Amino acid sequence: MSRQEILEKLRSLMARTGPGKTDWAKVSEADAIAALGIDSLAMLDFLYDIQQEFGIELDPRDLVSVTTVGQMVSFIGERKGA
Amino acid sequence: MYQLERVVVTGVGLATPIGFDEGTVAEHLFAGRSAIGRLRCLDASLYKSQSSAEVDAASFASAIAARGTRPGDRTSDLALIAAGKALEQARLLPATPGSPGEETCVLVGTGSGPSHALQESWQTFFTQGGKSLRPTTVPRCMLNAVSSAVSIQYGLKGTNYVIVSACSSSTIALGIAFRMIRSGDARRVLVVGSESMFTPALYASWDNLGVMSRNAEPSRACRPFDAQRDGFVLGEGAGALLLEERGAALERGATLRAEVLGFGESSDGTHITRPSVDGQALCMRNALRSARLEPDAVDFVNAHGTATKANDATEAEAIRKVFGARTEALPVNSSKSYFGHLLGAAGIVETIASILCLEHGRLHANLNLEEPDPVCNLRLTGLDRLEYPPRVCLKNSFGFGGSNSTLILARPSSSPS
Repeated sequence: MSRQEILEKLRSLMARTGPGKTDWAKVSEADAIAALGIDSLAMLDFLYDIQQEFGIELDPRDLVSVTTVGQMVSFIGERKGA
Repeated sequence: MYQLERVVVTGVGLATPIGFDEGTVAEHLFAGRSAIGRLRCLDASLYKSQSSAEVDAASFASAIAARGTRPGDRTSDLALIAAGKALEQARLLPATPGSPGEETCVLVGTGSGPSHALQESWQTFFTQGGKSLRPTTVPRCMLNAVSSAVSIQYGLKGTNYVIVSACSSSTIALGIAFRMIRSGDARRVLVVGSESMFTPALYASWDNLGVMSRNAEPSRACRPFDAQRDGFVLGEGAGALLLEERGAALERGATLRAEVLGFGESSDGTHITRPSVDGQALCMRNALRSARLEPDAVDFVNAHGTATKANDATEAEAIRKVFGARTEALPVNSSKSYFGHLLGAAGIVETIASILCLEHGRLHANLNLEEPDPVCNLRLTGLDRLEYPPRVCLKNSFGFGGSNSTLILARPSSSPS
């Protein structure tokens, strides 16, 4: 799965489950996740949806250093490749 | 000296099967048009009772979209829609720091709380196991998710909690709010009643209890006080009322929609589902005492009137017991043949229907009252007009568990005390 494909899937996932006021189609890899209106509690749900969508297992503790959408794309890519 | 404050209504919000705005709701009420139809949101063929009063899907979706948020639990979403309308009408939004809106308390009456979120979680647990539950299952499913959602969405920083007492939930929430303001402990309380029990498990539970109408014609299924009544029709929806201390409301130029004069409650202390004449009569008397009114001051009763055999017969006898000879001339109506039975939200939505009656100077009819049950010997209203505009309403709500509640409302008076 390419980076672009992962990003597209994340955008569509966010559009379905993320906070309603953000235009998710415009989200780029450079965006900070915290600036997208996803607080720590919403992040737990977001990670749950990522696991379901990509068929991977995530431990929130593994994601401490993930702060941008691009880093999330890399993290998912690594897990999918593993 | 301990002074009792006066309590008025300055905001009204609705999200009901017969409409999301007061104009539409009033139009239906006074034209005698019901929202009851065939059960659509669940597979009707699985149940013995196949009528329902469901919120219009397009109105619901557009109200959610207008709020700029995503659909969550249905009970919470309905609460948020009605709450927003009441706050807007009361001109309390945005509830910025230091504004009158910010100090508003939130009390929510609901029988089952976020029942759709609970249903989804149980289903995930039993089909996929505990590891598959959302990490946010607890905050999604706790009963006070509904009141906290309202508080968070609108930035209301008074208290927020949920009152659960089956079908009297939102009337008791109104009563507690009334007392909070009357005693001077709060200036503004947003009361919301919200309920949606259209989940397969909850609907089946009601179906198996045998208290819902099995009439094959949905439009004729809900027949309060009629001899052929055979149970209630389940509905969903929400209502919200902004209660406010009268002086504070006048000071900020708010429009007074109604005044709450009194609240009474009682517990049957006898049976979990069978209603009690004595319990209901005590409740109405407590409300009259709270309002410092004699029975002859009441212009009409908006009954709990569920259209079950037991409720209507018991309530009619309790009304006769409280009002005595006055009963012959006392008009009584039930709103359930329009909205269905909104369970925990029923009380507040029917209170709003009663406020509309007070404002329009006329009462809505009891629908499907073709053959009044002699056991329910009351002056039941039809489509005919009253000979005088009603000023004072006594509104009953009675819940399983023997939880009784009665509010007394009036058209707002211009007198200073």
